[in-house]
Amino acid sequence: MQNTDCAYICEQFTEYQENSLPSEIRAKVDAHLASCSSCREIFQSLSGVLETLHNLPSVKATTDFTSTLLSRIDTLNQETTWQRIYHSSYSKVAGYAIAAGLIVAIGINILIDPISSMKPGLKSNFAVEQTNQIQSDESLAEITDSSASHAADSLTLQNATINSQNQSVQLVSGKK
Amino acid sequence: MSEKPILTDEQLIAAFQAGDEHAFVELVDRYKDRLVNFVYRFLHDMTDAEDMVQETFLKVYKNKHAYREIAKFSTWIYTIAGNLARSELRKRKRRKTYTMSDLSFDDNEFTPVDPGKGTEAIVFNSYAGEEIMKAIYALPEPFQTIIILRDIQELSYEHISTILDIPMGTVKSRVNRARLKLQETLSYLKE
Ligand SMILES: [Zn+2]
Repeated sequence: MQNTDCAYICEQFTEYQENSLPSEIRAKVDAHLASCSSCREIFQSLSGVLETLHNLPSVKATTDFTSTLLSRIDTLNQETTWQRIYHSSYSKVAGYAIAAGLIVAIGINILIDPISSMKPGLKSNFAVEQTNQIQSDESLAEITDSSASHAADSLTLQNATINSQNQSVQLVSGKK
Repeated sequence: MSEKPILTDEQLIAAFQAGDEHAFVELVDRYKDRLVNFVYRFLHDMTDAEDMVQETFLKVYKNKHAYREIAKFSTWIYTIAGNLARSELRKRKRRKTYTMSDLSFDDNEFTPVDPGKGTEAIVFNSYAGEEIMKAIYALPEPFQTIIILRDIQELSYEHISTILDIPMGTVKSRVNRARLKLQETLSYLKE
């Protein structure tokens, strides 16, 4: 019993069946199969398996496959459209809310501590905090810009700001 | 209608990429049966197979621009379907504990059945399709995939080589090892 031989012969089976072996290797396989009953049995069994395998009836998609798929696609398209609409209106609303909050809050800051309110570091920290509170990435830059220009305005609106102070604190903390 | 020239798959996907949804439907019609048959051999369950093929087409629909003309459309879609089927199978196999103890070997560990014992017990030519399907289902993934691509879908070595991204020579030797493994598994199941 030459085990290595048997292993080598078994490795050739596919190409042997496909008639694609070089003739000298093919002759080796023939000779081995003629003399080794174990390999012969494996080979015959394998041929039977392959024959069954190649003749398996194939299964088909059910008749409503395409219509089900197309309605899933319709749903998908509707969802993405609605998601787009929802997202754009959501960020607009959120943007207005932040803008209002910033304008008022900067006004308060200036009132309480006019020097520190002008320190850019503090201001940007505040902006970051705001962003974390409301996920409205794209509007942030605009808001920060517009709130900077509004800062001057808010100085002249001090009285109005004092009046709305309680309200605005609620507005800002309400977003937590 | 009969005057229309028959478009290739690649022409259809190009038309779909350009916005023609009818081209997509035509591709669905061309591939749904083939793919359901393909995925069914992995999952051995018709409902799951259909679901998975629906997922495949949804992926094609959503990611139509991911297709590049360097590959055949069929290669692309078989790859998507095959990946989905195999990851579903991995999920299932994680959930289940197999009774057969020899399912842990990997692609590189194949050794032919020791011809000295046991082989006499094999009953030739008597495996039913159902038994073979069960044995394929029980095969470790690399063997299973190659058997399904080669012996059920009857794809060319070249095509399989592109789908699995392995050299042609490797495909051939894997086909051989996978078949022997299948035959071996069948003889275990038979005992
Ligand atoms: Zn032998």
